[in-house]
Amino acid sequence: MCNTKKNLPFKTIPVAEAVGTTLAHDMTEIIPGESKGPAFKKGHKVTDSDVCRLMRMGKNNLFVLDLKDDQVHEDEAVNELAAALAGPGVIFSGSPSEGKLELRASYPGLFKVNIEALTKFNMIQDVMCAAIHNNTSVKTNNSLAATRAIPLVIHKDELQRAVDLAKEHYPIFCVKMFNPLKVRLAITGNEVYKGLIKDKFQDIVRKKISALGATLEEAVILPDDEEIISRQIQTYLEKDTDLIITTGGMSVDPDDVTRAGIENSGFEETIYSSAVLPGAMFLLGYHEKTSIMGLPACGLYHRITIFDLILPRLMAGEKPTQRDLAKLSHGGLCLNCKTCTFPACSFGKAG
Amino acid sequence: MEDFETLLKGSSNAHGHLCPGQVVGVRMAMEGCRLIGLDNPAKMPQIKKLIVYVEMDRCATDAICFVTGVRLGRRSLKFVDNGIMAATFVNLETGKAFRIVSTEKARDLAQIYAPKMSDKREQQLSAYKKMDIKDLFDIEEVKVDVPACDYPGPTRFKQTCSSCGQVVRDKKEVMKNDKILCRPCALGTYYQPVKKNTHNKGSHHVQHKKKSAV
Repeated sequence: MCNTKKNLPFKTIPVAEAVGTTLAHDMTEIIPGESKGPAFKKGHKVTDSDVCRLMRMGKNNLFVLDLKDDQVHEDEAVNELAAALAGPGVIFSGSPSEGKLELRASYPGLFKVNIEALTKFNMIQDVMCAAIHNNTSVKTNNSLAATRAIPLVIHKDELQRAVDLAKEHYPIFCVKMFNPLKVRLAITGNEVYKGLIKDKFQDIVRKKISALGATLEEAVILPDDEEIISRQIQTYLEKDTDLIITTGGMSVDPDDVTRAGIENSGFEETIYSSAVLPGAMFLLGYHEKTSIMGLPACGLYHRITIFDLILPRLMAGEKPTQRDLAKLSHGGLCLNCKTCTFPACSFGKAG
Repeated sequence: MEDFETLLKGSSNAHGHLCPGQVVGVRMAMEGCRLIGLDNPAKMPQIKKLIVYVEMDRCATDAICFVTGVRLGRRSLKFVDNGIMAATFVNLETGKAFRIVSTEKARDLAQIYAPKMSDKREQQLSAYKKMDIKDLFDIEEVKVDVPACDYPGPTRFKQTCSSCGQVVRDKKEVMKNDKILCRPCALGTYYQPVKKNTHNKGSHHVQHKKKSAV
């Protein structure tokens, strides 16, 4: 609908006749020296007991909503929109602010967006919803999206179209809860095995996985020996392991044998290389309930790598495919900013 | 709202005994309601304007419920298990909210306010009745963004657990491994079933599954 000045859904009425009508805007009350704030909010239905207070506030006439039967006020409309959009793990306030509702995470996890459905939703006239990127790792209360009806009043049919579309594609938004994965780590490299340099991978891995609720059950340091690496991975597979992580040995040098060690250990499904920098020489594999990630040594230098993009998805029970890794190409280039603001940047936001 | 003594008497009767917690709870509730502009919270129409978040499940909580009329079953009472003698009073209409914390110093000040009493409990009881509100409580104006799914009123949100078929209300379901689940199925239970095939982590005590409702 079109809200030209001629078509505003307000009328002015004397306050004494306002009982049962709906206020068109917030009404501020000032008590000198004590307080200043909204005594009545937009959308409030005026009751008998409100009339005296309004008069004390100096209100003799009010702007009230003059809605036709087929019109819905923006505050009522946005409640319907948010309820239809918000799937499991997504909540929103009970009181819209300026006709808008923010959708928030009710628990930590992986934020998922049905992008196609969200696009269709936004093709409907007079409603909008903007969200953060798909596959973002979120914490409780993180802002995920915001929605509103565009005009002050929306046509009932248009609102229903938007709500029906969201319900048809339910859930357009949800937060997938992280699983408390049991992780085992194999750090490879003759230089650390022989003690020439001190390992720093274990601390990095432990910190990143425990931030999402996983536990590091075991960690070993191995030489660059394909057979030893392979045997260790098989040992891990025999234990109750959800995720095996190897570090180092993923490049193309003669000493880089970790990839071969993984491929010979029983992982029938492995993907090598990702369209992400840093993290191109990355390996991802699956064997029954266990996943494996082969992390290249860039994880020692760069604060954020492919590891940070894939770990939340594994934690949420997903099994990214070769295509998923290829799709990361769009947004897969880290800009190595002086001050890293990840996840508030374009890195890994392929959608 | 009735006067303090009347409310304290009613609260003690409802709770089962008169104790320092009743005095603290009644005074906390009266002050909380005053601060958010409600003078008759237990009656219509104000009964629909109030939500109280209590941070302890002890005597004072019952007193707060008695004075304000908030009830768990009416969704006007929220329990935040912090183990702190505190409560936040929210006026849903205006958004005004105050968190009131019972001070620890009040325990020490009891002997100054009621020096002639030897019994500690009686001393506290008597002192808390007349203690200056600034000594009894720390009070802070706050904002509470009450989620739509926590509001009083008819059930707006329902989902069905895809594992056990249990209907979950008020957006308490979770998405785990691509399944909409109730919390017992997703996170485990606080109880252990005595017989098999009852609700347990990973087990399905109800076999029928209903289509999810939005």
